Amino acid sequence: MLTRRSLLKLGSMAAASAALPQPAHSLAAADYALDLAPYTLDLAPKHSIKTIAYNQQVPGPLLRLREGKQVTIDVTNHTENEEVVHWHGLFLPPEVDGAMEEGTPMISPGGTARYTYTPSPAGFRWYHTHTFAGTDLKKAQYTGMHGFLLIDPIDPRENSSYYDEEFFLALHDWDGEMTGSADGSMNPEYKFSTINGRILGFGDPLRVKQGQRVLMHILNSSPTEQHWIALAGHQFRVIALDGNPVPNPQLVSMLRLAPAERVCAIVEMNHPGIWILGEVRKHIQAAGLGIVVEYAGRTGKPVWQQPENLLWDYSQFAATDPASSPARNIIDIPLVFESKFAGHGAPDHWTINGKSWPETSAAPLVHGQRYRLQFKNPSSDDHPVHLHRHSFELRCLPKNPNTHGILKDVVLVEAKTELHVEFTADNPGATLFHCHQQNHMDEGFMMLFHYV
Amino acid sequence: MPLRKQLETVEDSMRHFSRIARLVVLLLGLSAAHLLHAQGNYEIQVYGADTEAPKSTMLELHSNFTADGQKHLIGGVYPTNHQQHETLEITQGINSWSEVGFYVFTSLQDGHGWQWVGDHIRPRVRVPDSWHWPIGVSLSTEVGYQRADYSPDTWTWEIRPIVDKSVGRWYFAVNPALERTLHGPDVSQGIGFSPGAKVGFDFTKAISGGIEYYADYGSITHIAALHDQQQQIFLVTDLNVSPKWEINVGVGIGPTAATDHWIVKGILGRHFSWVKQSVTD
Repeated sequence: MLTRRSLLKLGSMAAASAALPQPAHSLAAADYALDLAPYTLDLAPKHSIKTIAYNQQVPGPLLRLREGKQVTIDVTNHTENEEVVHWHGLFLPPEVDGAMEEGTPMISPGGTARYTYTPSPAGFRWYHTHTFAGTDLKKAQYTGMHGFLLIDPIDPRENSSYYDEEFFLALHDWDGEMTGSADGSMNPEYKFSTINGRILGFGDPLRVKQGQRVLMHILNSSPTEQHWIALAGHQFRVIALDGNPVPNPQLVSMLRLAPAERVCAIVEMNHPGIWILGEVRKHIQAAGLGIVVEYAGRTGKPVWQQPENLLWDYSQFAATDPASSPARNIIDIPLVFESKFAGHGAPDHWTINGKSWPETSAAPLVHGQRYRLQFKNPSSDDHPVHLHRHSFELRCLPKNPNTHGILKDVVLVEAKTELHVEFTADNPGATLFHCHQQNHMDEGFMMLFHYV
Repeated sequence: MPLRKQLETVEDSMRHFSRIARLVVLLLGLSAAHLLHAQGNYEIQVYGADTEAPKSTMLELHSNFTADGQKHLIGGVYPTNHQQHETLEITQGINSWSEVGFYVFTSLQDGHGWQWVGDHIRPRVRVPDSWHWPIGVSLSTEVGYQRADYSPDTWTWEIRPIVDKSVGRWYFAVNPALERTLHGPDVSQGIGFSPGAKVGFDFTKAISGGIEYYADYGSITHIAALHDQQQQIFLVTDLNVSPKWEINVGVGIGPTAATDHWIVKGILGRHFSWVKQSVTD
């Protein structure tokens, strides 16, 4: 564990802290190796989950890579099913991006695949499985197959931020069951929720010292659930969303992370005590989603301060200078998300512009062209939509139609709202677009962009 | 045989047949009267396995009209024909796997006015979600009193296993209920078998249709002849207009002599939560 007070860079080569996963072990021929295999995860002394994990740990090992420096990662599949690893947030060729739909080969049971790529852009990314689960809530993203991926910038002066300690935290939900929801459709409900695979009170605490600035890299790896996170007695200064620095860092009392979203935030440790960092909604914290934050020299029972509201707005991190006028030749792509009822005993099917995967289609992208994706969600479900191999800029949010400057790869399109993002088609190749909620993706919410 | 003798023999046979016929009719009537008590027609519902959520209450009004039923006073029991039954059901959720229901049965009929008929209480437990069973399973038991004017068996007890399953647009439920008369003519019958079943189909998210089946086979040790069994088949629709409301309407036919022939039923239910739900709960 490294403890220091110095000017470091966001995403630098700082050593792992107590909450970090163990580093991946090196092999002679590859820089890193990941083994996918069955694993029994002890959430707490009396609760364990049989799942699949990378290198026998949940989350998988932290991979810290250098932007622009080629890396080779061997992935061996010790499970009974075909697998693939998606390097979420990187601008990679489709052959190694990690989506079968784009053309990345699946890894057969017992097989090994070698991923060789040059990571870019810098920032907090992650890697995870990218397979179909359907009604089997012990497969795909419902498992422990997720890990942190931090790409350090080529220029260490980029993304500078003071911090003394950094923690990586993965929020996840376990032991799900499809149940009928109030709106008549079926959705998973979970028995357990964890941070870094542990139920609140049963993992190692985050050990801090008074006066420290702590950098938290928080990932929501949940297959389907949004999470609201607060740290009792403290606030977060959000400096990056989905690994990309925000133009207007803000101090907030809580964070909202949709599935696959990441938040990097600085916390000033200026309120000594034993605190709980956890889910704001009581029933989910009661299911285990929380971790103790322990100041050096302090003892006692962890304290939680219950917020009364859920507060989050992307636009507060947007650039404050007037938005530049939109590109004149920008092309609008309206995408309407709707559900098709399939019975009270079945999950809804999802459509984009009236069609479900694999019938979904979009006009081919032209290299260099700027596009505006107009997400229209008249459905009664929220959708954390993800664009592979590209970043997009939030441009029109429900509460702020003139947003700009926030770059992300996942955005939550809330029910009954419309939201616009812009991106430049600058990475030719098949590009997958989908809802990152596993059950929505499995039920047709997926589309492939092709370049001309 | 002389013609006169032959005619006397025929007359004797006719008298004998007539006596037997009258006896059969009387026995059938009594039998039907005994069975009809169990039919009830105060709450016509195939139970699903789910229970009411804790700290919430379900209020249901069961309205059942017997369009074509028993037209005669048998054994002191009012005829069911053109009886309008209004039953108030109050179900309180205890925890995530149990509830208690309470019934107030009433009857409206020309010549008798609006009468209180009786009350039942019905505790119920179910297999918790955390057990991850592939089907819904619960068990209810119901005990209560009905006035002898409306049911010869005044005190009855029932135990009702409930199994249900939704598969896509289809819904299946079975209620193989067992009944026991605690006070009344059927005490000697022992345990009776009164199954119910339902098959539903979701036409849309809001509109489902289906068939409900109710029966009373009599004693479990001496299953009654088909003629004496109660058999009712309802064509029903469930309207899922809101998670707070339950609406079920149907028309039923009773093809056996022991069953009311035509019944129209309706259930209107409303959930009330006693917890002020916060966004952070």
